[in-house]
Formats: sequence, structure tokens, C-alpha cells
Amino acid sequence: MSETEDVNDPGDVREEETVESDEFEPVQVFGDSESMDLRPGSDDCYKCSTCDTNCPVAEVDDEFPGPKFQGPEQWRLKRKDDREVDDSITSCSNCMRCDSACPSDVPLSQMHNTARGEFVSEQMEKLSREYVRNRILANYGTLARLGSKVPRLTNFVMGNSLVQTLNEKLLGITSEREFPEFAEETFREWWEKRGGTAASKERAQEARAQRGGAKIERDEKRVAYFHGCYSNYNTPAVGKATVRVFERFGYEVLVPPQQCSGTPMFANGMLEDARRSAETNVRELAAAIEDGADVIASCTSCSMALRQEYPELFDFEGTASVAARTYEAAEYLRLHEDLDGALADAEVDLDPVGTEVEGEEDGDAEFAYHAPCHARNQGIAGQAVELLDHLDGASAEDVGPSCSGISGTYGWKAEKYDASMEIGAEMIEHMEEADAETGLTECPTCAMQMEHGTGYDVRHPMEVLEDALVDGESA
Amino acid sequence: MTDTEVVVVGGGSTGCGVARDLAMRGVDVTLVEQGNLTHGTTGRMHGLLHSGGRYAVSDQSSAQECIAENRVLRDIADHCVEMTGGQFVQLEGDPDEYFEEKLAGCRECGIPVEVLSGQQAREEEPYLTKSVKRAIRVPDGAVDPFRLCVANAASAEEHGARIETHAEVVAVLKNGTQVTGVEVRHDSGPGKREHRRAGERETITADHVVNAAGAWAGQLGEMAGADVAVRPSKGAMVVTNCRQVDTVINRCRPKGDADIVVPHEATAILGTTDVEVDDPEDYPEEQWEVDLLIDELSKLVPILGEARTVRSFWGVRPLYEPPGAATEDPTDITRDYFLLDHADRDDLAGLTTIVGGKFTTYRLMAESVADHVCGKLGVSADCKTADVPLPGSEDFSVLREYMDEFGLRSPVGRRSVQRLGSRADEVLTTDGPNPVLCDCEAVTRAEVRDAIEGSGTDLNAVRIRTRASMGNCQGGFCCHRMAAELHPEYDESQSREALDELFQERWKGQRHALWGEQLSQAALNYALHATTMNRDRDPAEGDGTLDFGRFDSGAPNRPEETEARDGD
Ligand SMILES: Cc1cc2nc3c(=O)[nH]c(=O)nc-3n(C[C@H](O)[C@H](O)[C@H](O)COP(=O)(O)OP(=O)(O)OC[C@H]3O[C@@H](n4cnc5c(N)ncnc54)[C@H](O)[C@@H]3O)c2cc1C
Ligand code: SF4
Ligand code: SF4
Repeated sequence: MSETEDVNDPGDVREEETVESDEFEPVQVFGDSESMDLRPGSDDCYKCSTCDTNCPVAEVDDEFPGPKFQGPEQWRLKRKDDREVDDSITSCSNCMRCDSACPSDVPLSQMHNTARGEFVSEQMEKLSREYVRNRILANYGTLARLGSKVPRLTNFVMGNSLVQTLNEKLLGITSEREFPEFAEETFREWWEKRGGTAASKERAQEARAQRGGAKIERDEKRVAYFHGCYSNYNTPAVGKATVRVFERFGYEVLVPPQQCSGTPMFANGMLEDARRSAETNVRELAAAIEDGADVIASCTSCSMALRQEYPELFDFEGTASVAARTYEAAEYLRLHEDLDGALADAEVDLDPVGTEVEGEEDGDAEFAYHAPCHARNQGIAGQAVELLDHLDGASAEDVGPSCSGISGTYGWKAEKYDASMEIGAEMIEHMEEADAETGLTECPTCAMQMEHGTGYDVRHPMEVLEDALVDGESA
Repeated sequence: MTDTEVVVVGGGSTGCGVARDLAMRGVDVTLVEQGNLTHGTTGRMHGLLHSGGRYAVSDQSSAQECIAENRVLRDIADHCVEMTGGQFVQLEGDPDEYFEEKLAGCRECGIPVEVLSGQQAREEEPYLTKSVKRAIRVPDGAVDPFRLCVANAASAEEHGARIETHAEVVAVLKNGTQVTGVEVRHDSGPGKREHRRAGERETITADHVVNAAGAWAGQLGEMAGADVAVRPSKGAMVVTNCRQVDTVINRCRPKGDADIVVPHEATAILGTTDVEVDDPEDYPEEQWEVDLLIDELSKLVPILGEARTVRSFWGVRPLYEPPGAATEDPTDITRDYFLLDHADRDDLAGLTTIVGGKFTTYRLMAESVADHVCGKLGVSADCKTADVPLPGSEDFSVLREYMDEFGLRSPVGRRSVQRLGSRADEVLTTDGPNPVLCDCEAVTRAEVRDAIEGSGTDLNAVRIRTRASMGNCQGGFCCHRMAAELHPEYDESQSREALDELFQERWKGQRHALWGEQLSQAALNYALHATTMNRDRDPAEGDGTLDFGRFDSGAPNRPEETEARDGD
């Protein structure tokens, strides 16, 4: 409970943190403008090692020195003209668990991201297989844009085992995993076809009229939806569900132009790529905020990037306000609407349903819910389970606090595949033990790992909310 | 026949420098020091390798000595020096005339200077305040006094000198008007320090005694019956957790308190104050000094106002006044050094005192003493200390390229090699694993073991050689790891005593930094040590012996054993 309340803190610290104290605003620290001086961040570390004991990679990879070394210790030992970064930084999966574990507010993931960026731009061989592979993985959005132009062909080619073997041999992308399929119609295509914002406005008004009584009412409610790459190219159903649920609560949805949130780029130290994407995103989302919208995302890594990583790494105009006004989709509804009440009044009959539990006749659809690390960081790890508690006909069982192990692109790297599966083992085991045969999570790559490990279908909470709250749409 | 030709009293920079110089000229030397090396002022100084800029207006001959020695040390003590560069910063409102005088003074003394605009100064040092008007860039540097002294002592030993630490001179031996040696009290030994080993007294006869006892020189003079008017003056320094500046930042104003920040290893040191004291061993360490440093210097570097400080420490300047000077304000007493020939001065042959001066010019001071003593002894060898690199600084540039080879992670390897210089290969090449023992300062087991070889159970001596326990946890996480390395060569009770001593020393400096983050750190250290090592035990209880046989080996208990234990 208190987890969600934290986020609602009126004295939202994110805004403060992004406004530099004028007094000691540094001009430029490590020479080149890209790199930041995070040495003072080490002041907060009192070496308790809580971060190390929470790091899923350190747990399975003996070669990985852990976040305490990677972050505050390594930064503290730096000097202006002598600041080589240890190559172990590339083993950090950027799950950001260390961030939320630290009792002392050490900016760990900012330290990792910055160090990784430095390592990649200054120390990594630009023609190496690893660099090329990471660049490709980091720029999944671009790849997906091309692939989804001819989805069936791409799906066919990528599903081909010969191609998978080549990927592994040439690029070091594991052949153990199935590439995600591209949808035949992207979310944006659907959105345009459906009539874009104008249609959304109409639907929102209808919903307000239906539920609120008078048609001319209080201020318009507006959200800008950051769908991210994955729900655009691979799971448009999640995007559609999000749009419909918000419209159901009377929100006009905007879908501003957008690029990759940057999450996979941070994780691979491709800060220049991330900067380009972030610049577009901040510009577009800041404009939507100007128009009175708040920003929502259905992917927890996307909202994490907008809320925390952007202000930590970039300083475009509007970065702070985008960070302060971005929310995870369900989190937003819980803050501003009576989502719990609406769910209590609703009921679902979901298919596929979970296993019938002996002695229980209602035949609830059972989900095995995994909270993504980045949801944990935003204080919403308990949210999905709580929501489904209110809903008749569905329930979710939390499969525990472990990391899924895929961490975006990490688990796709051939050399990290085993570690990824070892990290994920606990989650997979708990999923199998749970009374459910369908998974549930907000994060698309966690979903891949869940599916890969158990063979279950995996849904997004927004899809369940859609089933519960939205009457069918034919568009 | 005497035991040795020359006894040098004092293991600070001056004494170590003298011992090396004489030994390299083929003189048989014994150095005695009451604590470990750098126990005195040398271990409690600011770490500035002067460019001479600070003296360029007030004392030009010192300034010229400084720039000359600055160049020499970069060469012969490469591994102890970091050429950070420095700035004299003028803030809005600071006098223009002084800035001009400083600039002209530096040029007159041959100190290379460059004037930076406020913007340029801030580009070089981003945390400088916005109200920087302009700055003068000078070749200031950072120097590690510990490493430098230890290297001088090691070099002296290589040339046949005997170095005795924890050996206090309790009497100066005389035969009429001829000084004939000293009587020392060994704390443990002679030889390497070993806790719980009984010490003894030793008489060391010599042809000549050099009094390099710094602020204690007066006391030593007294033992010999000579009046040496040392006026000790204390100065406070505050150590921050990390480096806010990478160059030396001086405030460009006529002399005053709290006007300089020196980057030192992973930290920055703020300094200093200047207050005359009676006793160099016993003087008050006052909180106002700490507050003053932080307040004043955060006008120059505002982030310092928020910075974590890990400890504060005080040193005493061994200022000397020739008889009859009686200067009122200690800040007006000259910083020059004096060589006192007691044969001339007090009709006391066989004794020379060297006092005053600064760390940066230690080698020059040592050279003049060695020249003088050699003259007395009839030795005609030349001084070589300006040309022959110290152990650790030989062929260092070549070695820098090989840093990665010790299998250490990047910052650990880099810092280790910077500390060890050309000795890195010898020290860091190990057969077995070489874990990091001190995480804060990136010190590995191999380096700690090497230091123990050189200094016995004296963990403070290990600390100054390696920097282990000098980082942000102030030893909370590594003192015991260091102590554990003493075993099995030394037994449990010795290791424990050595640990206590180191831990107390670390605690001493933290007392003046107990707020904010360092207070959290101290609380965590306390909790850890209390709960895992029972260090909060009532000292009055028990006889201090632990029955280690009663602890199991860590292997799973066999059932009989469990039963047997149940009975207790
Ligand atoms: C606050 C402060 C900051 C300073 N900053 C700088 C700086 O940044 N740069 C710079 O160049 N200089 C600096 N100095 C000056 C410099 O530190 C000293 O001039 C220099 O270290 C003096 O070295 P020393 O060997 O003469 O004296 P010490 O280091 O004091 O050595 C004398 C030694 O004699 C030993 N001794 C005394 N009595 C006996 C006895 N009876 N038997 C055996 N041993 C005995 C003592 O234990 C001591 O170790 C600073 C000084 C102070 C106080
Ligand atoms: S981000 Fe995750 S993988 Fe990286 S150091 Fe932190 S906890 Fe470990
Ligand atoms: S959890 Fe935070 S305070 Fe503790 S060691 Fe890690 S970074 Fe330092």
C-alpha cells in the first residue's frame, strides 16, 4: 500500500533533483561535455553492501564485482585525467535494483549508466563484434521499424533456426531465444486508422457523459501515451487496451510522435543514441504537457527512463517537467480515479483461464504475476496484485521479488544467456508452483523471459483491466 | 670506535632526507624515531608540493627554493607526486593589487605562470564559485609525505643505514663539550616493531648527532644543554571524502587562514590555521578551526559546504626564531630553515640542528646538513640526491604501460601502481589470489603484506605505506582484514593489539567529522564491530584472553560435539 503512496508524494522530489543548485552548478567536469562528475555522489555511500546483496547479477556471476564497486567506489577513485572504467561495467544489466536497495540515496544507476557510456565511447573497440551486437540490440526500435514493414517475412526469417545460429555465431545473440513476433498492424497504424486524437476525444466525451451525467463538464482530462517500441511493433493489444481503459475513464488520449525510451541504449552504454531519442521524446512530451496532458506509459522501463534516467543523464529543456509528470498507466488511474472501486463493481470472464483450484468453484482466472525491477523502483511492485484483488473473476499471485534475469537486452547476449537463466530460475520456479498457467507483468522483456522459462502466455495488466472495464470496441 | 658515524634523530621528511643523503655519500648512519616514520609534522601536513607561488610576494628566496625543489621532486619522486597544477584565484572583491603583485612575484622567482579568465578557471575547476574574477595558474602539485619518507628511508637502508622506529631518544650523551651519541628507549625491539615484545634501552655512540626533531628540536636541544627556540604553531586540516577539485586551489589574498584546498589521492584537504602552542605533543584540537575551514573555503568552492568530511587533523609547524627576534604574531615568523652548528653557537661539538623550512624543500635542507656534517667528518663525497630517483620512481614511465597485467580491476590496478611506482611488479605479482582488502582506497592483500614485511605489527605504518583504512569508511571495513594478515607470523594477541591501535588512530580523526554521512558511517562501523567482534565489550570484564578452542572450525558440527556443547 504505502508503496503506491510514496509516488503520490506532493513534494515530488524528482523536480527538485533535476533543478541544479545554482550555487555549485559545475561548468563542465570531465573535459568532454558528455561525461558528468559523479564523485560527490560517493559521499552518500557508507559501504553497507546492501546494494551488493540485492544485485541479481552479482549473485550468479562471480566475476562481477557488484554495484558498490561499480558505483561509489569506482567513481570515488577517479581523477580528472585518469578515469578509465573497468570493463565489468558491461556486465551490469541495468535492472536498477541497487538503486532501490540503497538506504542512503547513492545515485547508483546514474553512476553505472554514465560509466558505461564512458566505457563504450572511449574504451570499446568500435568494430568489435560485441559493440556491433550491442548497438543492434540497443537500437531495437529501429530494427523493429524495418522489420514490421514486412512482418510476416521478418517473422519467418527470424524464426528460422539457420538465421538464429548465424546470429549467435556472427553477432553473439543467443539462439536459445525465439525472436518476438512482429504484429501485422502496428499500434500507431491502428491508432491512425481509428481516427487518432479526434476519435479519442469523442470516445472520452461519451464515456464522461455516460458515467458523469452532463456532457459539458469540468476540465478536459488528457493523457499523452508513451507506448514504447514493443507495444507498437509487437504487442499492439497492450497499447489498444491502455487507450481504451483511459477513454473509459473519460480521458482524451494523445499519442505524440516518439522514439525508443532509451532503456536498451542506457543498458548498453550507447548514450549518444539515447540522447537523440530522449531529445525527441522530451520535446514531444513537454509539448503535450503544455497542452494540459500528463504522460502515461504501459511499459515500466519506459516510465522509469522518463522519470529517472532522463533527468539524471540529460538536461534538455522540459526534462524535469516530463520526469515529474510521467506515470505508469495503472498507477495514474489509481491516483486520479477510483480504479479500485470500478474494479470492485466489475467482473471478468477470461479466457484462457487458470487451472481450477480444488474446492473453489468460482474458477477465477489465475495469473502468476512478476513485478519488473523497474516497477519496483517506481514503488508499484504490489499494484497489479492489489488491483486484481478487487476484481471478481481474476486474481494474481505474486511470484516473488526476484529479478526475471533478462533485463532487456542482457539475456539476449550469448555470453550472458546462462547467467540470465540462473537469475530467472527463482521466478520461473515460483511461476510453476503458482496456481496459474498464465503470466502477468508490465514489462515486455520480463514477459519474454517468463514465456521462455515456462511456456505460459503472458498478459499485461492493462489487458485485464480492458476486459474488466471496457465494453467491446469494433474499430 | 663508535657504533655508527652519524645518528639522525627524527624520522620526518628532514631526518629521512638527511639519512639518505649521508648514506649515499658512504657515511654510516643510524636514524632513530620515537614513533613510526612521519609520526611528527610530516605525517600531519597539507600535502602541497609548493610551486613557490605562496611565497612569491612575502619571501622570494623561499619561493625560488620551492620551484627548484618542485622540479627535482617531480623527477626523483615521481611516484609520490601528482602534478595537479594549481590556481591562485581572485574572487570579486579581492584586491587587484595583490593579484598583480603575486603575478609579478612569481615571474621574478622563475615560477611559470599563466593568467586565466574567470571562465577558464571554472572550466578547469568546475566547482569553483561563479564569482571567480580571474586566476593565476602555477605548477603546484600534490605530494604524499608518507610515501616520500618511506622511500627515503628505504633508499638509506639500501645504502647501509640503520633505521629504528619506535625508538625514542631519552638522553644525549656527552663527554665534556663533545656530544658522543644518544640513549634510546625501544618500544619493542630493537628491529621491527612487534606488539607485546618487550623493549629495551640502547646506547648508540656516534661521531656526530643530527637533531632533525622538528617541533621537538627544542626538547632535544635541552637534553644536550643547548637552547633551540622552536615556536610550534598548530594548523588544522579537514579531509573530504572525495575530490571536489583536481588542482590545488589557493585564494589570491595576502596571507590568511583557510585559503587553500589540495587534492590528495581520492580526497581533498582543506587548510589551514596558524595558532602558537606550547607543547607540540599536547595541544587543543578545536571545532572552530574545522568550522572556519569549511565556511571560508566554501566561499571559494561552494560544494564544500555540503561535502562529506571524513576526518580532521592537526599538525605543528616547527617554526624557528633566531635568538632575539621575538616576533609577536606566529604567522609572521619566517618559514625559512636554519642549520645550527652547535660547536660554533654553544661550544658543543658533534651536534647539528636542522629546523624550520617546509616539506617541499626537505631535500635541499638535507643536502646542506649532509654537506655540513661531511665537512666535520672529513668526507668529501658529493650529494647525489637530486639526480638518483627514489625506490619506486625508477623507470616509472615504462611501468605505467603495464598496469593491466596484475589482473586487477581498472581503478584498483591504477591506484596500486601509482602508489608503488616501479616497485609494482615486485609487490603485485603473486601466485595466489590477490583480493582487495581496503575497498575505499583500492589496496590489495599483496600490498598490505609487502608493507607488513617492512614494518612488523605496526599497522599504522602499514596504513601510511598503503593508504589502507584511509578512505571513507575510515577503517570500519578493513582494519580487521589488515590485522588478519599479521597472522600466522604474529600471534593472535599481537594482532589484536595492533588492530586496536589502528582502530583508535582512525577514530581519533573522525571525532571532528561526526555529522551527516560520516556520523552514519561511524554508527555503522560501531554496530558492525560491536556485533561481529564484540568490540563494545566491557573492558573491565574478563582478562582479555579468549579461548579460541571453543569456537568451531566453521565445518558442520559432528553430533557428539553438539551434545558436549549443550552441557555448558
Ligand atoms: C599544518 C601544516 C601544513 C603544512 N603544509 C605543508 C605543505 O603543504 N607543503 C610543505 O612543503 N610543507 C608543509 N608544512 C611544513 C612541513 O610539514 C614541515 O616543515 C615538515 O614536515 C617538517 O619535517 P621535519 O622532518 O623537520 O619534522 P617532523 O616531521 O616533525 O619530524 C620530526 C620527528 O622527530 C621525532 N622526534 C621528536 N623527538 C624525538 C625523540 N626524542 N626521539 C626520537 N624521535 C623524536 C618526531 O616524532 C618526528 O617524527 C606544513 C606544516 C604544517 C604544520
Ligand atoms: S543495475 Fe542491477 S545488475 Fe546493475 S549493478 Fe545494479 S543491481 Fe546489479
Ligand atoms: S547500498 Fe548504498 S550505502 Fe550501502 S554500499 Fe551500496 S551504495 Fe553504499
